[in-house]
Amino acid sequence: MAVRTQFENSTDIGVFSKLTNAYCLTALASSTNFYSVFESELADVIPIVHTTIGGTRIVGRLTAGNRHGLLVPSTTTDQELQHLRNSLPPSVAIQRIEERLSALGNVIACNDYVALVHPDIDRETEEIIADTLKVEVFRQTVASNVLVGSYCALSNQGGLVHPKTSRSELDELSSLLQVPLVAGTVNRGSEVIGAGLVVNDWCAFTGLDTTATEISVIEATFRLQGQTSAAVINEMRDSLIDHYA
Amino acid sequence: MSSVAGLQRIAPVPTSSDFIDIVLNATMRKTPTVIHKNFKISRIRNFYMRKVKFTQDTFDEKLGKIISEFPVLDNLHPFLSSLLNVLYDKNHYKLALGQINTARHLISQVSKDYTRLLKFGDSLYRCKQLKKAALGRMATIMRRQKDPLAYLEQVRQHISRLPAIDPNTRTLLICGYPNVGKSSFVNKITRADVDVQPYAFTTKSLFVGHMDYKYLRWQVIDTPGVLDHPLEEMNTIEMQSITALAHLRSAVLYFMDLSEQCGYTIEAQCKLFHSIKPLFTNKPTILVINKIDIVRLADLSPENRAFVDSILSDKSVTVVEASTYSEEGVMDVRNVACDALLAHRVEQKLKGNRIEMVANKIHVAVPQKRDDLERKPFIPDAVKHKVKYDKEDPDRRKLQRDEEQEMELSGMGIYSADIKKDYILADDSWKYDKIPEFLNGKNVADFIDPDIAEKLDALEREEEALEAQGFYDSDESEMLDSDEEEFRDAASQIEKKKASIKKISQEKNHLQNRPIIPRKKKHVTLSEFTSGMRKSGHDPLVLEKRAARLMEKKKEAWEAAEARDAAAEGDMDVDMDAEVEDSSRPSKGKPIRTKSGMAVSRAPRSNRQMAGLATIVQSDKANELRDFAQRLPNRLAKASESDRHVPITRPKWMLAGKRKGGKTDRR
Repeated sequence: MAVRTQFENSTDIGVFSKLTNAYCLTALASSTNFYSVFESELADVIPIVHTTIGGTRIVGRLTAGNRHGLLVPSTTTDQELQHLRNSLPPSVAIQRIEERLSALGNVIACNDYVALVHPDIDRETEEIIADTLKVEVFRQTVASNVLVGSYCALSNQGGLVHPKTSRSELDELSSLLQVPLVAGTVNRGSEVIGAGLVVNDWCAFTGLDTTATEISVIEATFRLQGQTSAAVINEMRDSLIDHYA
Repeated sequence: MSSVAGLQRIAPVPTSSDFIDIVLNATMRKTPTVIHKNFKISRIRNFYMRKVKFTQDTFDEKLGKIISEFPVLDNLHPFLSSLLNVLYDKNHYKLALGQINTARHLISQVSKDYTRLLKFGDSLYRCKQLKKAALGRMATIMRRQKDPLAYLEQVRQHISRLPAIDPNTRTLLICGYPNVGKSSFVNKITRADVDVQPYAFTTKSLFVGHMDYKYLRWQVIDTPGVLDHPLEEMNTIEMQSITALAHLRSAVLYFMDLSEQCGYTIEAQCKLFHSIKPLFTNKPTILVINKIDIVRLADLSPENRAFVDSILSDKSVTVVEASTYSEEGVMDVRNVACDALLAHRVEQKLKGNRIEMVANKIHVAVPQKRDDLERKPFIPDAVKHKVKYDKEDPDRRKLQRDEEQEMELSGMGIYSADIKKDYILADDSWKYDKIPEFLNGKNVADFIDPDIAEKLDALEREEEALEAQGFYDSDESEMLDSDEEEFRDAASQIEKKKASIKKISQEKNHLQNRPIIPRKKKHVTLSEFTSGMRKSGHDPLVLEKRAARLMEKKKEAWEAAEARDAAAEGDMDVDMDAEVEDSSRPSKGKPIRTKSGMAVSRAPRSNRQMAGLATIVQSDKANELRDFAQRLPNRLAKASESDRHVPITRPKWMLAGKRKGGKTDRR
């Protein structure tokens, strides 16, 4: 189930929210509209937490996490850390990381089993990621972009990556991640997938500009409507060719 | 205005008289208005030249804007260009724009001529007349553009109301004889709301509707009906359909009415298909048999069936039956048409080289297994039981947004989300507890030891046990006490002594608050001196004797002097009279004192003014001379010859500031 929404007239919702299988973070906004979109889909299933990180609202770009844990940057204040600790279930480990590349959401892309990280990340950070999130860590680029977190969205069932990723690169990444991958866009052709889309194993939220074709690709890729990702090459093929070419 | 793709927004075109008013008004407002015949002639000329040039500039700018805003037909998409040709007549349109351009040139020529003439204007009046003539001629030129301007305004209004047709997107084009059910079909599959009436040519122009199919957006164009006659005889309404058929890459849906309710025979309808067939080449064509609620294809008589079969003999034509009245088969028509067009477009695109750019997007990368680990998705059971949120459901979950809206509607103030509400804590009553301030990543809670009370108890118990054992009892303590007492006594004595010394010293200081006379200079009487010596235990007898002896000697000397003085005063009595005038001179030795001890005043012994002058006459003369010498200094307000003071020669109050009439001498 993919839902279109926006944060205060911005369609880059991945900047202002973080969605995993065990929790959801949303930025504190002047109204609760954005929060309530998540609430209507996720309430009573996983905790949805209103928070800031280091006093900013770009929580999605500053944090990285999955079902096992949450990584926050060194700019996170003690109060915020306390608030997160109180709001998240005890099974989720929270770890503050002293890392030069402090926008962790941009440099880490992960599901519950595997993480892709920026090639320049600290060795210690890499270890912390592996321990806290309980994932295998791979230093990788996506379509020769080092900001792997910005240019892909992953769940345990699939992944959407930068539209310029070549077929061979797609195959390589897919084998690393062990999930089917599709190259695509969100928000009417935006290539920053991480900014336009947040996804977990059973639902997805995309920017308000996302087209019907993009939504259908997303739903097929992440198997949200009972489809398999093979739909992208079977029934949707013609639509996609006509849409893109 | 999101009007027709490829056509930008055009500003309204004023009528010729409005045009003139606008421009002349601008000239009046935006150029200087004050001129005087006494001004320099060059200034007067410039004044009027500026007006003429400004008017020309304004005309030029406004006309240029019209010319640039109206689309150039040759640069547009062929569909738009021929549609505009059909609607407005290309020649007429070009002519109108050409006339506007000519007017623009004429006006600039007029301006050039008159500025040249203005250079020779020799008076205000002549210059003014030249300007008047220039502006008049410009206005005349514009007045002649009345018709082109009116035509362009009409075109503009019509263009702005043209449907937004995108010539490049997926398009279903619906055509056929009038009254066969084209518009009803468009109304059924889109939300276009085209007018449907039971007479021919209800639809007089192109209409556009949009729909979604297969995740894509489709454009459906409803065209006016076409009659079967040569292209030259077709009217504007029909030509619009032909234009669309000719230039749009689309799927063509040719509608037929087998019931002949439309007023045209099946034969005529089939003939029309054949005559416009050349327009369908390279387009997926679908023959739509409409009104099947009345007559179906199967019900046709053999001769009519033959006409239809002549169409179907071409394999590229697909036939579909539908009824917009009973809605039977409408969606089939749409799906068949869309699929055919999509397949056609994809086929075209696969031939092109752009397909390579999107090849990766229609590829699903399937992972190769690298280990035996199974990576299952994690979907909580709650998801499966969760009821889908529905806005209309009265029992729906109350979201924070609802709470916020309620609060705003009730005017109770500003809603602020309660972020602590959903804390997951061992005890719900802890949720709103105040958290102590953090410092360096720790707060007081980090220093709390849950066992602290026990540890304290243990310590106390140990202490008590030690005390009970007599661990702290000791013999030395008493000895130590006596020692210490002595020590303290001594200390307190020292303190007391110090305090008393301090007090005495302070008192002494208090008494001595007056000039201190050195001991040497102090007058000490003999008795005081001797008593002091006695007190300190010395015998002053020798000193006393010596003092008495000295006193005796002094006394003798004094008495002798007294006697000598008395003898001398007796001698001087002779001169007493002569000295009367200065009798106040004190006698030698003793000062004259009154009883109260004050000095007695005395007059000067001689008149100093008369000093050195023998007679009163001489004295008068001297005074006269002195006064005479004083005259010049007096006149110059000088104290004397030696007075060299120079007063302020140019006082500011006199020379600075504004002078009004008659002030020159007075101040």
